[in-house]
Amino acid sequence: MISIDFTLNGRPCRIEVPAHWTALDLLRDGLALNGTKYGCGEGVCGTCTVLLDGEPVRSCLVLASRLRGRSVLTVEGLDRDGEPDRLQAAFAHAGAVQCGFCTPGMLLSARALLAANPSPTEHDVREALAGNLCRCTGYTKIVEAVLAAAAGR
Amino acid sequence: MRLRPFALAEPESLPEAVEILARLDGDARIIAGGTALVPTMRLGLVTPDRLVSLHRIPGLSQIRVDKGVLEVGAMTSLAAMARDGALGSGWPLLAQAAARVATPAIRSTATVGGNLCYAEAASDPAPALLCLEAQVRVAGSAGERVVSIGEFFTGFYETAVAPGEILTGVRVPATPAGARSGYLKFCPRSAEDKPLIGAAALLVLDAAKGVGEIRIGLGGAAPTPMRARRAEAMVTGQELTDRAIRGAADAAAGEAEPLSDLMGSADYRREMIRVWVRRLLTALRDGRPVPA
Repeated sequence: MISIDFTLNGRPCRIEVPAHWTALDLLRDGLALNGTKYGCGEGVCGTCTVLLDGEPVRSCLVLASRLRGRSVLTVEGLDRDGEPDRLQAAFAHAGAVQCGFCTPGMLLSARALLAANPSPTEHDVREALAGNLCRCTGYTKIVEAVLAAAAGR
Repeated sequence: MRLRPFALAEPESLPEAVEILARLDGDARIIAGGTALVPTMRLGLVTPDRLVSLHRIPGLSQIRVDKGVLEVGAMTSLAAMARDGALGSGWPLLAQAAARVATPAIRSTATVGGNLCYAEAASDPAPALLCLEAQVRVAGSAGERVVSIGEFFTGFYETAVAPGEILTGVRVPATPAGARSGYLKFCPRSAEDKPLIGAAALLVLDAAKGVGEIRIGLGGAAPTPMRARRAEAMVTGQELTDRAIRGAADAAAGEAEPLSDLMGSADYRREMIRVWVRRLLTALRDGRPVPA
């Protein structure tokens, strides 16, 4: 077992995990934060995307030990006192969610984009979300939601 | 699905890492970003009992310019390379290739050292580093040695890094003055996939619009990333007419030794090398931006 201290959704967290666990194993099975999804397990589908020090990462590829001393944001940390953040609100308003499995990863990839580029073009949004697969929506409403959130609509 | 259990060492200095590797005598795998190793482990293609992670070793993720030479630490992420100001202004070809790897959440994690050690034939950074004639720093119990990028890739997923050695960084000489450069990749499926083929080129035109110097690097064109030296020789000193470019593209396709796999046959890869080398050289000659 290894001991890990890190910041999780703004709060300090200390936990012991087996050395072979990934960050995704830690979030879902160690901390019961099931918003982050296990999709392909190979870094391709994007459903396990979380932010590590503000950058999107595939939590299925990152060993849990890499979280030590760093700051992790998952979908559970997006809302403010139960109120959806602007991306969550925009997704809901645009109907950008169908089955919902890709949504946490989409929200976090979109959040990283808007932090780096507050006024993205549609092309920028599509590039930023290229690693997040959605098998329901056809992406149009997701892209619209991100653009709407950026525009403050 | 969990990874098969392994013991994890997290050395805090390079000598400690070298010492651990020597003690384990080849019985350990080095993990950098893990974007290649973890899926490979998940698929059961490698089943290491021990991993040695480099992430706690200070100084391995620095980018610095020293007397006009770029030094990129092995643990530098591709995203950090793509957004670094000094790297982008002095070595735009490398910045462009780093920015084209997979998707944002891979680039944030994947490292330049890991990319080179994985030795994927269709690596994006490798053709750029071949054009820039980079050198690779490797540390082991006998000290540090430097391997030219042209001698680094020794075979299909094989490199010059010996068991017990650690790739610590990449040294990139200054881009030749007046060079135009670009990287183009052909992804027939989706962005997160490796390219079917990739082409990097660096071109210096002389005053008479002739080719003063040209370097062409290819990914997915052989069992290892490669320089297209015959294509380079064919147009060096020549005016870069459409006909000359077609000749160079044909030569590159001819000297490529691509493999067939589920992404495409060797013949298809050869044809696509012809097409993309022609497009790349034409864009560079005309001073047009190389399309992303």
